[in-house]
Amino acid sequence: MTQQKIESELKSVINLCKAVTSGSIEPFDIDVDYILSVIRKHYPELKNVQELCTDASALKELSNVLERQKDWIQYKTTTLYKDPFLLNQQILKMEISNIAKVFLKSWRPLVEMEQISAKTLAGSLGYWADLIPLNDRWKEPDLMLIDAEIATIEDAKMLGFLPEEGFVQSLEAFWVELGQKANETGIIDYWDWIGADTYEETVKRSYLTVFLVSYGYANIKIDQLTDSIEISYNKEQNSNPKQSKISIPTMVDYEEWKKWRKE
Amino acid sequence: MAKRIRSEAAYSSKIRHAVHLLFFQHHRLPGVRGWELKQELGPEWQEILEVLDKQLQILDLKVMRVFDDPNIIEPDSNQLADARFYITLRGSIDQKTAKTIGWRVDDIAGLAVSIAYIISKQGKSPRVEVEKILQEKLPGWRVKMNIDRYIQQGYLGEDEKGILFLDWRSRAEVDQKQLVDLIINYGKKSSLTEEKYTEN
Repeated sequence: MTQQKIESELKSVINLCKAVTSGSIEPFDIDVDYILSVIRKHYPELKNVQELCTDASALKELSNVLERQKDWIQYKTTTLYKDPFLLNQQILKMEISNIAKVFLKSWRPLVEMEQISAKTLAGSLGYWADLIPLNDRWKEPDLMLIDAEIATIEDAKMLGFLPEEGFVQSLEAFWVELGQKANETGIIDYWDWIGADTYEETVKRSYLTVFLVSYGYANIKIDQLTDSIEISYNKEQNSNPKQSKISIPTMVDYEEWKKWRKE
Repeated sequence: MAKRIRSEAAYSSKIRHAVHLLFFQHHRLPGVRGWELKQELGPEWQEILEVLDKQLQILDLKVMRVFDDPNIIEPDSNQLADARFYITLRGSIDQKTAKTIGWRVDDIAGLAVSIAYIISKQGKSPRVEVEKILQEKLPGWRVKMNIDRYIQQGYLGEDEKGILFLDWRSRAEVDQKQLVDLIINYGKKSSLTEEKYTEN
């Protein structure tokens, strides 16, 4: 037998097995013994790597067929299995309206909504009002050439580019403030603590609070169920041993801040 | 340590949040993955869904979970995180209601036959075979159109070789065992199957 014919036969075996794995042919419609005999017959005649690879592919596809046969037997033992022929006959016997009735008894349609709420509509209108027109957003920036001058550190502090005091001093002052504002048990609500007249100041207070907690000057308690967050004041620098040493991301949501301001 | 039991009231804000997540479509496909629910509702997300499911019972709705692998029976935490959660009808609907939500009786029957046939073929069947069985009772032009519609709506999937399989929506919405049982036993005088499912 020519090498070309051997390769062609092996490829036919591969295609046949692939038809089973794709579902076009029933797993037991294939005579596994016969296919194995074809592969076995050609094996001694294989001469190069290419032919050996085709032979290996044929064996692999045949093993996939055996796997499908195993799945098929397993499926037949389940309560879901019904003979396809019997099912076909029954479908052909039934009237369309009866098939529909039967289906409706086992159909539980999904419930989903695409409705816009008054709240989201109001929010969107607010966004639209705040949105800068495209002409303004896309216009070329007005650049102006100015003479640069040298500023001292004092000047930078006066202009607000540098803090008046060092970070450690700010943190210590912030700690003292926490002690004064917290109640007798040393606890204060998160928003009551970080909330300030301006959003910028609120963000700054939240930022410093994270350091207070990290350095053990305060603890943070988050209740997942009620969404409440509390800050507790430590008289001495002492971190809660139960609290794991991880960074705590704190939310300073603008909408939340506006809501807090209204309250 | 005994499991801490919380009252339904304690979950109220979380339940409201779960309703928003599950009822409103957030992605291209409806439903929410388990990991998303865990992220939004916290570690007690499964208990929250249980309470929500109980509350939805009186509205004839239920929280349904669907796994990517339909063979999963006892899921582990990773499989639960990957599962998709939906709100579905708890009971069944009648033909009149089905019509009002845009389904012709032919469309429903065609879907029933397609799903039942694919189930009987172990979850996969060439499209031509499904078309052939549908053509027994529906005009040819309508058969192709209907199968395309079932695919588009997520009831059926089709691979590049033209093999149809049950897609996510069939797994979420259709009680496959009940459907096949009802078809097989339809018209049998002594069969209690239909009565059993009607009562349910």
